[in-house]
Amino acid sequence: MKSKKPEKKPEKQSPKVPGAPRIIIVGEQSMVDEFATVCLKHGYSFQLAYNAPPETRPSFPTFSLKTGTAALRTASVAVELTNTDRVLKQQNLERISKDLAPTAAILSTSVTVSATEQTRWIHGKHRLVGIGYLPGLADAGLLEVAPTVFTPPATLEVVSRFVASIGKAAEIVQDGVGLVFPRVACQMINEAAFAIAEEVAEPKAIDEALMLALRHPRGPVAWAERFGLRQVIAVLEALQREYGGDRYRIAPLLRQMAYAGEWWK
Amino acid sequence: MSTSQTIFKHIGIVGAGSTGAALAQMAAVAGADVLVYDINDTVLRRAFERIKTDLRRQVQQNVLTADQMSAILGRLRSRTSVADLSPCDLVIEAVVEDLRVKRDLMKHLDANTKPAAVLATASSALSVSAVGSFARFPERIIGMHFFHPIQSSPVVEVARGSRTNDQTVLAATDLVTMLGKRSILVNDSPGFVVNRVSYPYAGESLQIAGERIATPEQIDRIMKVVGGYEAGPFETIDQEGIDTHLAAARGLSDQFFGDSRYRPHPLLQQMVDAGKLGKKSGSGFVTSEANTSPK
Repeated sequence: MKSKKPEKKPEKQSPKVPGAPRIIIVGEQSMVDEFATVCLKHGYSFQLAYNAPPETRPSFPTFSLKTGTAALRTASVAVELTNTDRVLKQQNLERISKDLAPTAAILSTSVTVSATEQTRWIHGKHRLVGIGYLPGLADAGLLEVAPTVFTPPATLEVVSRFVASIGKAAEIVQDGVGLVFPRVACQMINEAAFAIAEEVAEPKAIDEALMLALRHPRGPVAWAERFGLRQVIAVLEALQREYGGDRYRIAPLLRQMAYAGEWWK
Repeated sequence: MSTSQTIFKHIGIVGAGSTGAALAQMAAVAGADVLVYDINDTVLRRAFERIKTDLRRQVQQNVLTADQMSAILGRLRSRTSVADLSPCDLVIEAVVEDLRVKRDLMKHLDANTKPAAVLATASSALSVSAVGSFARFPERIIGMHFFHPIQSSPVVEVARGSRTNDQTVLAATDLVTMLGKRSILVNDSPGFVVNRVSYPYAGESLQIAGERIATPEQIDRIMKVVGGYEAGPFETIDQEGIDTHLAAARGLSDQFFGDSRYRPHPLLQQMVDAGKLGKKSGSGFVTSEANTSPK
């Protein structure tokens, strides 16, 4: 039997722009790809590392965090986008911070772990700021940025310049789990899930009601579809962990739908 | 449920405040004969003046002809006795948001209208089942939650009480269609859908502002730019009136027996105590004076 020749993979074109600073983007594939697309649009060259082997063939050049020390050494900004796995997020940040230049900045989602807590995991605490990011928000013209007590003005300056350069305004907020938009949106989704479970109305009717009566741009069911239920639950669990009490109790229906792998159809 | 096409020849409106007047005008514009009842003559007169002024404006803007305006006004009549509403096929009450007042009124309407007539409460927060609890025919009682601005809002929550029958639901949705709006069918539950599910938009934002994670101005900006919302939560509260928002939040919290998800934030009370009621007082969370927002 003839052995089949391995197909030669075409060389991936690294979207390099001469002179542009290099960005490292690490984390959950959907968010990493979205963020990379924004960076590409604004002329950045970047390298990506996914938390898990990609389900589809990646469109951009990837590297492994375990071996890709060269990519890290030359980067001026690292973006860490993991919300649903705290252990993995900690491992990613530990690896990034080990090889990243002391003057480089780390932007890390802080919707499920506060930025201040994340600084405990890294070398060079001064480099890290939190950001508010969930899947589906790549096109938003604003990014919530949460400095920590360790963040010097120089880091904030690097971060603000970078955020502006990818077409977004940096809104500097205080560090706190969920920050602003993810916290409010996930609470609305949770409330909708309680109302659906109690058969107050059908999921579609809930979205329609809010859009027509209050002119909301989309309803909570549509937001949940956009973010993904695992993300929503991760934010709510983090809020529950942080604040305790009943306020952030997760609707059992939301968990059931997450276990089932889809939002209400 | 099958579809029906109920014909409403006579519609009764109880309470001639701003909501009642708007409902009466819409029903008359849609072609029904409308009987408007209020215990207060002055309120009734003002309601009719308001309707006339609005219709005249529409004539000036060529939305209506003078003949159409006359026909609409001809279909509107004022009444000062509940018994006068007996010919109505459907009556909507739009009186003050007080369970005792609405319950008493529903009892009178139940006794003074034909058994086949639909009785609707326009309450935005009270339980439909509670409002209709003393009626002889509770199956004909339903909630119809209209949104402001009542005439231009495209949707009405039609809230089914625990004893409301299918025929009543169909009749109410037919009326909504006749008024040129869309019905959202909901079951009787505190805040129905819109007020309940949208509650965290303001409630969680107040929590965030209270923790000084972001200022009200920042939160409004974030919700508008990131979420695409037309108005930020604090603009919305200021527009609604901070006292009105607090009262509604208290009502929701009470109906959920103090569940912490609906507990009003102390910032609301602080603003009310300071006389900062939002747009109507010229100062609120994001309205006017520079020092009104918590820093």
